[in-house]
Amino acid sequence: MRIEYLAWRIFYSLLAFVISVTLSFVLLHAMPGDYLHVILPHLAEKNPLATELFREQFGLDKSLFEQYVLYVLNVLQGNWGYSIQYGLPVTEVILEKLSWTAVILLPATLLSIFIGVLIGSYSGWTSGSLGDSFIFKIMIFLGAVPSYWWAIFLILVLGFYLDLFPLGGYMSITALDEGMKLHDVLYHAALPIVALTLTTVPGVYYLMRNSMLMIVGQDYILAARSKGLSEIEILLRHALKNAMLPMITLFAMELAHVIMGSIFIETIFSWPGMGFLTFEALRVRDLPLLQGIFLMDTLIIILANIAADFSYPLIDPRAKVGEIG
Amino acid sequence: MLEIINLKTQFPSPDGLVNAVDSADLQIEDNERLGLIGETGCGKTVLGMSIIRLLPPSTRIHGQIIYKGRDLLNLKEEEMRLLRGKEISMILQNPTTSLNPVLKIGDQIAEVIQLHKDCNRKEAKTKAVEILAAAMIPEAPKRADQYPHELSGGMKERVMIVMGLASQPSFVIADEPTKGLDSGTKAEIIRLIRDMTSGRSMLMITHDLAAAGEICDRIAVMYAGELLEMASAKTILHDPQHPYTQGFINSLPSRGLLPISGSSPSLIDPPHGCRFHPRCPWAMDICRREHPQIIKLEKGHFSRCFLCA
Repeated sequence: MRIEYLAWRIFYSLLAFVISVTLSFVLLHAMPGDYLHVILPHLAEKNPLATELFREQFGLDKSLFEQYVLYVLNVLQGNWGYSIQYGLPVTEVILEKLSWTAVILLPATLLSIFIGVLIGSYSGWTSGSLGDSFIFKIMIFLGAVPSYWWAIFLILVLGFYLDLFPLGGYMSITALDEGMKLHDVLYHAALPIVALTLTTVPGVYYLMRNSMLMIVGQDYILAARSKGLSEIEILLRHALKNAMLPMITLFAMELAHVIMGSIFIETIFSWPGMGFLTFEALRVRDLPLLQGIFLMDTLIIILANIAADFSYPLIDPRAKVGEIG
Repeated sequence: MLEIINLKTQFPSPDGLVNAVDSADLQIEDNERLGLIGETGCGKTVLGMSIIRLLPPSTRIHGQIIYKGRDLLNLKEEEMRLLRGKEISMILQNPTTSLNPVLKIGDQIAEVIQLHKDCNRKEAKTKAVEILAAAMIPEAPKRADQYPHELSGGMKERVMIVMGLASQPSFVIADEPTKGLDSGTKAEIIRLIRDMTSGRSMLMITHDLAAAGEICDRIAVMYAGELLEMASAKTILHDPQHPYTQGFINSLPSRGLLPISGSSPSLIDPPHGCRFHPRCPWAMDICRREHPQIIKLEKGHFSRCFLCA
């Protein structure tokens, strides 16, 4: 049963991956303009030979179908192509930027999950109380403000007026002499992390509050009260574990988003991560790189989903992977 | 042991105040098991919940509930919490929803023991397995390590009973412990409750008159929030005086399955006069005009009916 389930799971994941490859290939090639026209519009006009050489070099002279087949075959063998813009293998470029994105997105995601679960469960547990309605209103406000507004606001107030944090970038100019320092990077990462946390907390909060609201009225909570447990013991031992169930999928998805980066935040803070990379690749029509970024997203989301499925039984004994579905 | 004086429990609702329990007087002696009988929605669970004070905050409770000389209704929530589970415990109805689905059976029982019996987690778990075994649960150590969904309905009911009695409370409220069980399992559960609660005081809330007859010393009959008749179990079963009790007994499958005509009245706006008069085959003029008081028929037998006067 388990083996069979696993086989199906892998098959469907592969199917999803291939469909995603095809879709992004078609969509990207349907986009007007190409690298040459963006970067070297005059060269293309003046020297048709250079254009031709370029097309030949990157295999752009072949038919679209031929390009697609070659691409899929290469991807399945682990060759994701070369970035036109960087002249480097796509995977190499992505992995480098990915680590920079992780520097701001991992702390921000963990922080927002921690804060969201904490205040969300408090809010749900004491629903209707003064504290709950206060937090709830604040969260509506936070959720309504877009991420780039926070980024601009933080740069303006904390960076420009108060001069407490750098306006952007990922290390100081002194790094040229002294080399990269961890505290310097973290200093630059602080504002993007805060901006990201502020925008992701409300989602986690709403789901957690809702989930907790469903638990509060359950009979086993009443049973726990009848045992003489204190409210905090009931919350921690009986309610939290049940309320966390719907959160697992959210966590998996949040972590999957880590790799996509945040285009707004990274662009505004000039942070050299995946979001910034995507934005740049799109601007100059670096198709192989864009394609690679989308593939990476697909891959991570598929893996995160599998991870979520397999972590359910760890919390809920009723869910046994491979026996349901 | 426990004395309920003029208890009124009301809930606000969009249609008006629901009088779930109205002017109830009840005494339960040391080592006495009292059955509280009535149809669904007559307020018997609310009466039990009023004692252990586990009703929603919007509930209005008036009257007195004297337990060992203290009025439970005057205790602060924190003082009440210290009594819960330790002195007064409750066996909730619906074991399927009352057991936490993500915690092991053994841990849910050990929790009560650890909280009230001054021992560490490991001792509590050993103790939990011991009581499970004492409750005739086969393969107790294995069961303790299982989750609620792995147990049958009868097994879950046993676990609920064990859990309610694990801390050896002096007063137990058992809410419908025989509900939804097949007759074989029911007989076992009845035996288990009888054995495990001997030497303890208990209020057993049920609509199963036969079960109450086997377990309880005395039976009180509740209707539309009011207590209508109270007597020894034997008297209620064989010589009931109130027309409602008589009707209730005649509606049992073993006594001819004759239902009482009509349906339970609203608790928001109960009938004027005697609450049972619209359904009573012997209703008289006075029953429509005046509300009957509870009267003593003989030693230990009370009834709220003009016919008995």
